[in-house]
Amino acid sequence: MEQAENSGRDRILARVRSALRKTAPKHAAPAPSGPIFAPITDSLDRFQKECALNLTECVITSDMGASAAAVGEVLASIPAGGIFVQDAPQLRRIVPLWQQGREIRWSSEGGPLESSQATVTLAESLVAQTGSVFVSSSCGGRGASVAAPVHIVVATLDQLVSDLEAAFARLRERGAQEKNSMLCLITGSSRTADIEKILVMGAHGPRRLVVVLSR
Amino acid sequence: MKTVAMFIPCFVDQLNPEVGMDMARVLRRVGYAVDFPEAQTCCGQPGFNSGYWNEARPLAERFVQIFGASDADAIVCPSGSCTTMVRNFYPELLAGSSLLPQAEKLAARVYEFSEFLVKVAQVPDVGASFPHRVAYHDACHALRELRIKQQPRELLKHVRGMELVEMPYCEECCGFGGTFATKFPMISSAMGETKAANAEASGAEYVTSTDSSCLMHIEGVLRLRKSPVRTIHLASILAQTGSPATAGNIAHDAAVADGAR
Amino acid sequence: MSTPAQEFLRNAATKSADLAHRRTIRTGIDHYEAAVARTGARFQDWEAARQRLHEVKWEAINHLDKYLVEFETRLKERGGHVYWAETAEDARRYIADLAARNNVRTVVKSKSMVTEEIDLTHTLEKDGVKVYETDLGEMIVQLRNEPPYHLMTPAMHLTRAEIADLFREKLGGVESDDPQHLVGIARRALRKAFFSAEMGISGANFLVADSGMMALTTNEGNGRLGTSLPRIHVAVAGIEKVIPRMEDLAVIWPALARSAVGQPIACYNTLIGGPRAPHETDGPEEFHLVLLDNGRSELLADPEQREVLHCIRCGACLNVCPVFRKIGGHSYGAVYGGPIGSVLMPHLGGLNKFQHLSFASSLCGACTDACPVKIDLHHHLLQNRRNAVQSADRPASERAAFGLWSWVLKGSGRFAFFGAAARALLRVAYSLGLARTPLDPLRPWTKAHAPPEIPAKSFRELWKEQRGAS
Repeated sequence: MEQAENSGRDRILARVRSALRKTAPKHAAPAPSGPIFAPITDSLDRFQKECALNLTECVITSDMGASAAAVGEVLASIPAGGIFVQDAPQLRRIVPLWQQGREIRWSSEGGPLESSQATVTLAESLVAQTGSVFVSSSCGGRGASVAAPVHIVVATLDQLVSDLEAAFARLRERGAQEKNSMLCLITGSSRTADIEKILVMGAHGPRRLVVVLSR
Repeated sequence: MKTVAMFIPCFVDQLNPEVGMDMARVLRRVGYAVDFPEAQTCCGQPGFNSGYWNEARPLAERFVQIFGASDADAIVCPSGSCTTMVRNFYPELLAGSSLLPQAEKLAARVYEFSEFLVKVAQVPDVGASFPHRVAYHDACHALRELRIKQQPRELLKHVRGMELVEMPYCEECCGFGGTFATKFPMISSAMGETKAANAEASGAEYVTSTDSSCLMHIEGVLRLRKSPVRTIHLASILAQTGSPATAGNIAHDAAVADGAR
Repeated sequence: MSTPAQEFLRNAATKSADLAHRRTIRTGIDHYEAAVARTGARFQDWEAARQRLHEVKWEAINHLDKYLVEFETRLKERGGHVYWAETAEDARRYIADLAARNNVRTVVKSKSMVTEEIDLTHTLEKDGVKVYETDLGEMIVQLRNEPPYHLMTPAMHLTRAEIADLFREKLGGVESDDPQHLVGIARRALRKAFFSAEMGISGANFLVADSGMMALTTNEGNGRLGTSLPRIHVAVAGIEKVIPRMEDLAVIWPALARSAVGQPIACYNTLIGGPRAPHETDGPEEFHLVLLDNGRSELLADPEQREVLHCIRCGACLNVCPVFRKIGGHSYGAVYGGPIGSVLMPHLGGLNKFQHLSFASSLCGACTDACPVKIDLHHHLLQNRRNAVQSADRPASERAAFGLWSWVLKGSGRFAFFGAAARALLRVAYSLGLARTPLDPLRPWTKAHAPPEIPAKSFRELWKEQRGAS
């Protein structure tokens, strides 16, 4: 699509360059200065503690088979209806273990439906520091992690990193920011503090975020 | 003997002279000779805060010349906001002035009264006695510009018979803010009311602070709402020893200050 | 026709006296302070975090041309469009034309102060486009037809009861004023809009130069839905939103959440790089980023106040401001309120028009202490005041008063004389019972204070006497 001519660009850049001919002062660093965040020694322990605080349901399993069963248990607890699943080999393999007669829409068919009761995806990584899940558009597309009332993440322990710095390093190593048009760090289920600054769960995104983590 | 030159804010000079007299009394008691450079008038803060930097600058230069000439070991001021003006804002106000180097050297010798006693004189116990329940109001400049929080409380904790209580929201601004109080009186007085209510809620008989400008504002609000709480400057608490001699001095000063009323 | 300054005085006076409003704000702020205290412990060195953020923004702003061009290049490589808008009108027109060309009938919008700044919603609505504010706070004030009250929590001035009544009237199905129930009603009301809108509009918290991605933070997920489901995504961002690297977000995201709402980190921290990539199965087909100048390049040219552009719009300065706690967010009469607004509006909106905001502060400095990027907010207020005196309209009486003040205080003899005269006048006036009457010389003061005790002798007089006596 051809873009309309944008002469403002050159004028804005000219003004910016002219403005920057004068230098602005910097604030001095406070002395002495330590690490911003305390180092994390036990990532799994920290991840579980953070999930408890941000109300992410974290289920630890022994292997993929057990994970599949855990997914099945979550699905058994939600209303009847179709689900939306990331079209990945690991998830294709274990579908029969938890399908329970639900209609599955795979991400290769498009985005989730307004009626999808849950979405099931993989993740880019898990972050212990904040009890978060890093997803990308490779994890079933953009809508997968936000459109349904329940989002289930199937992950393995080797995906757990200690902190945000490590999470970004991992994304960069894999070129995730180049391969995807969307990355999202998800911490807990959707919430709002807009009424009297009191935190309420389940705004527009999922009400429940479940991480099924196998060793 | 060590000497101290007193930097007496313009409004203390004219409206709260007892604060200056009490500060001198305490400084002598802890072993300092006290001098008052009579040529001083004002640090220039009222004009500076209202944006009248050109009008404030000559007053700042005058201040630097007068106190720069003093060979006292330290310059002590019973006000956090005036100390802030000299230490933190003179470099900006006097940028480009030939007196800037002198101002920067001077800044290193200027102290607010409570920080002088605790940090420089290192006398947290000044032998005071004041058997009342007292709350301390954290004046904003003292708190956030000079980082004075513990020093007044340490001094107060050593005052015999005194009970120190904390007000809710003790660090919240009282609403004086200089000309802010007359330019935006309804906001200022609403903030003052909140401070007064918090003082009452603490159960204190007195509210004290490093700054009599705050106290003047809080006192004016307390009196209007017929509150049992009164205000008193930190220097005036520290000056009290409970002995008849000093009580007499205080009474004398008060009588002289009041004159024929 | 009253001036903005007069309107401000009126609104501030009304709100300061409104005890119910003050209680509501105090309750909200107490929740915030408690949350921040809990979250603070997660930073081993919060001052180090503030310094890091300051350095990241300093680097970005002081090399703004380089990073803007890098960002634009990378975003275009991803198939995104970038439009540079010099003015609000520029930006509005671009987006309105885009909507018209694409027959957009419904827009879902996430919270964006810059879209308030350019008054985008009204422009689109005039063109017959239905615009749904999807952030709960923005949705509430939209239903009430009023501007946002606070840049982070737009509806914090309302109680749950007031919100329940509003929803009862406009949406239906309200059974209680329980916040959980009310949020559920909003969710149901907006879900259809998300799935049917042709265009999603958002702001951008940050523009990441090295990856050509925009960062968008929400708790509700409305920003995610609005930038995933519609066919066209339009983002509007001030040119100052740039940061150099993706990795900078490792400290920025937790700091932003802590300062904004006292959370360890927000629920959805998203990075969006243009429209859906060719191999992707969902997401917008078109992405437009509108970069807005609208006075920012002028502020950039002021090295003394350039750092005001470092603001990450967290709202912490509003939360800690004792003036905000009394007058509330609507009294400012400007897009940006609170301390940041009081500093910024004279630059973005004109010194003469908005100087009064810079004067309406007691300079307590709580804002400066709270700012996660170390902007010296209260010092910038002082600089704005200096600028106002030197190049804007101030009352002639004020100029005369400070001229006189300066002259009197240049001499100790003069000072002593005028001081004694003033005190004598006051003592006479008060002994005649004129205190707090129209003839009270201190009437501006005694309107809200009991009259002060006026001493007969000044300190310097007492000192002289004492020295003479010894």
